[in-house]
Amino acid sequence: MDFDRLGRLIALRYKLMWARTRTRNGKIALFFTGYLLFILVSVALWAGGLGAAVVAVRSGKAQLVADAALTGLYFQAVMMAVMLGFGMNTIFSDYELRRYPVRARERWLARHLIGMVDPFWLLVLALELGLAAGLYVLGAVSLAAAFFAVLVLFAGNYLLARFIGLALERLMQRKSGSIVAMAGIIALSLLPSTLGTMLRNNPERVAALLRVAAATPMFGAAATMTRSGAAAARGMALETAWLLAFLAALVALERRPAKAALAVAASALRWQGGCERAAAFLPPGPGGAPAPLVAHWLRFIIRNNRFRALYAMSLPLAAFLTFQLGRRGGERLFLAALSAMPLVGFLGSSRFAVNLFGYTGGGFRRLFLLPTDPAAPLRAASYAALLLGMPLVPVAVIAWIVLAPVPFDPRQVFMLLAAGFGGLFAFGGLGLWASILGPRRGNYYSGLGNDLSLAGNVVLIGWTLVSLMLPTVLHKTAPFTVAPENWWLAAAAVLVAALFYRVSLRSAGALFVARRERLLAVVEGRA
Amino acid sequence: MTPEPRDSAIRISNLVKKYGDTVAVEDLSLSVRPGSMFGFLGPNGSGKSTTIGCLTGLLDPTAGHIEILGRSFSTESADLKRRMGVMPETLGLFDPLYAHEFLAFVGRMFGLDEATTRRRASELLEALDLSGTSKTLAEFSTGMRKRAAFAAAVIHSPDVLFLDEPFESIDPAGAALMKQWLRRFTDQGRTVFITSHVLETVERLCHEVAIITKPGKLVWQGDITVLANDGAIHCDGHEFRALEPLFLHLTGERYADLNWL
Repeated sequence: MDFDRLGRLIALRYKLMWARTRTRNGKIALFFTGYLLFILVSVALWAGGLGAAVVAVRSGKAQLVADAALTGLYFQAVMMAVMLGFGMNTIFSDYELRRYPVRARERWLARHLIGMVDPFWLLVLALELGLAAGLYVLGAVSLAAAFFAVLVLFAGNYLLARFIGLALERLMQRKSGSIVAMAGIIALSLLPSTLGTMLRNNPERVAALLRVAAATPMFGAAATMTRSGAAAARGMALETAWLLAFLAALVALERRPAKAALAVAASALRWQGGCERAAAFLPPGPGGAPAPLVAHWLRFIIRNNRFRALYAMSLPLAAFLTFQLGRRGGERLFLAALSAMPLVGFLGSSRFAVNLFGYTGGGFRRLFLLPTDPAAPLRAASYAALLLGMPLVPVAVIAWIVLAPVPFDPRQVFMLLAAGFGGLFAFGGLGLWASILGPRRGNYYSGLGNDLSLAGNVVLIGWTLVSLMLPTVLHKTAPFTVAPENWWLAAAAVLVAALFYRVSLRSAGALFVARRERLLAVVEGRA
Repeated sequence: MTPEPRDSAIRISNLVKKYGDTVAVEDLSLSVRPGSMFGFLGPNGSGKSTTIGCLTGLLDPTAGHIEILGRSFSTESADLKRRMGVMPETLGLFDPLYAHEFLAFVGRMFGLDEATTRRRASELLEALDLSGTSKTLAEFSTGMRKRAAFAAAVIHSPDVLFLDEPFESIDPAGAALMKQWLRRFTDQGRTVFITSHVLETVERLCHEVAIITKPGKLVWQGDITVLANDGAIHCDGHEFRALEPLFLHLTGERYADLNWL
């Protein structure tokens, strides 16, 4: 094993990161990243892991608290890595590393060591080490055993996240795989709250669950950290066995060749389709966009696997959120529906709406060579994202009328429609600004991971939270605003949202033209 | 559409393009005759692609004036863009599309009617050996991508064609076909503006050449058709019988004796 070359490859990853700081934006990003990381690690180490340790020892239930802390951390890390893509970037592919004189094992190790020293995983490690250090300081464990337990657990955690990520990526290369994968992820993310409800209603199942949990690597690590003798050895053996199992599974999956791209039968060329027909609905004129351009954007978005998965999941997710948040029924159910309705409209095309040009690659240049108003590509892209979300809103409202266990109230129906369309317009307006002010070059074909810019994330996550919480907040602070008697207020809200979209479209259009050279540099990977 | 006769199809006056303090093009002035095949040459990083960016509306010049087909040109000039075809350096392809979808999109955007778009796209795909494939543009080889970009540049039969390194990665048969089309194109009075590092190709194909050096500074412009008739170009008291020595003379030859190589 050539550790010298491995070290150089890992160092190259950080040199590449450092190279980004040569720009002004890079320096600002570096400052904030460094500052945030410092604060996070400090807080995580002392208030998180160490705090848990203090609670563990003082309560006399060291192992129980360690079990809970490590399990929570373990699952959070896997979820964050798989769903949001944190810590999943190995920077170099095996193919890229083949140009260097390193053997297959060294390439594998280099890729995964680079993945493990990602700041996200270091944060996870800091939390776990904080727990170990706290337990040691308070005299509960041997430092060496605790640190070793943490390192084995950490390595296994990384390998599991990597295995799930790769398995999902492979799944998404299959027909309908993206829908299955996205359904699985969403179901998994909703599992804790569902499980909590189930256990509260059936306390007798807690013991059975704990028996299963005792065989997990987290419980093994907790036993090593808080017990001694045979119990500690059993814990170490357990987590080592899991580590080896995850390692074997990942290696096996990586060795298995990826399925080739789905072959499309060579058939008669199809010149026009639903995209052209849908685009023809848009009226021409000032502020419009040429129908072929809108049709192009519709096709570009629809052909994306991730869009298809999210789009297919939008309605089931909204239904789940409605019945989960409004399980107390009556007024609560309607408030929950108001919260979920905006998601129906914007969720499917959200990744594109907040980064309209980030996935076009070299094609972005083509947009400026077209004989149109230079701002037309921006309008066309935004209209396409909006057009895709719009049909789902009435479908969701019809589903409400049919399925909701409440008497039919046309005022509620109107308010739900307004929430859906209003949320879509507002998100579309915010997405325009995020696309121009915070563009990011993304991979159109990536199945998982978060490839949005900070601005994109702020808009997407922020607007999702606002949508989910606003009806409840309004109900508590100004109940008349969400009362069906004042349904006309919803009409005013949707008009304001549409106006915001219209103003954004006009102002962002001018900015888009002025910033096009900067956008070109970002989208083509030169900045 | 055959362009109306005029002095120059492309006229650049005192073009300057700066990125911050960095000068990419410095006071460049040149004109291109209608109906000519014009070679625009220069070493790497000399500002060729930046100049084409300004000429096609991708980039805003810092100073200077551009005229295309006798009319002032800027990025807002939609009418002029309709008469221009561009094969950019990065090809400008939309990877998830099939070639016929991409060509149909370009044809429609450039105002061709539906029947003409379909007919021309089919003919181009057939001629450039891109038909009968079930691959998207992302799955095309480098040469196929280049051919698709070339097809998109010509589908609307433009009056002025800008080609940035058009023959690189194209197989000999494809390149020969493209050259044949370009010759017919100029015979009809249309103009082709080419950048290339393959000087033999430029010498055989172009009527006139401009050579620039860093940063986008014109050092020579002239007729090179004499070379095809065993004539010579005279420059700085020297006689050149091929384009390559002239280019090296103007842009500076480099020698490095690496005895280990």
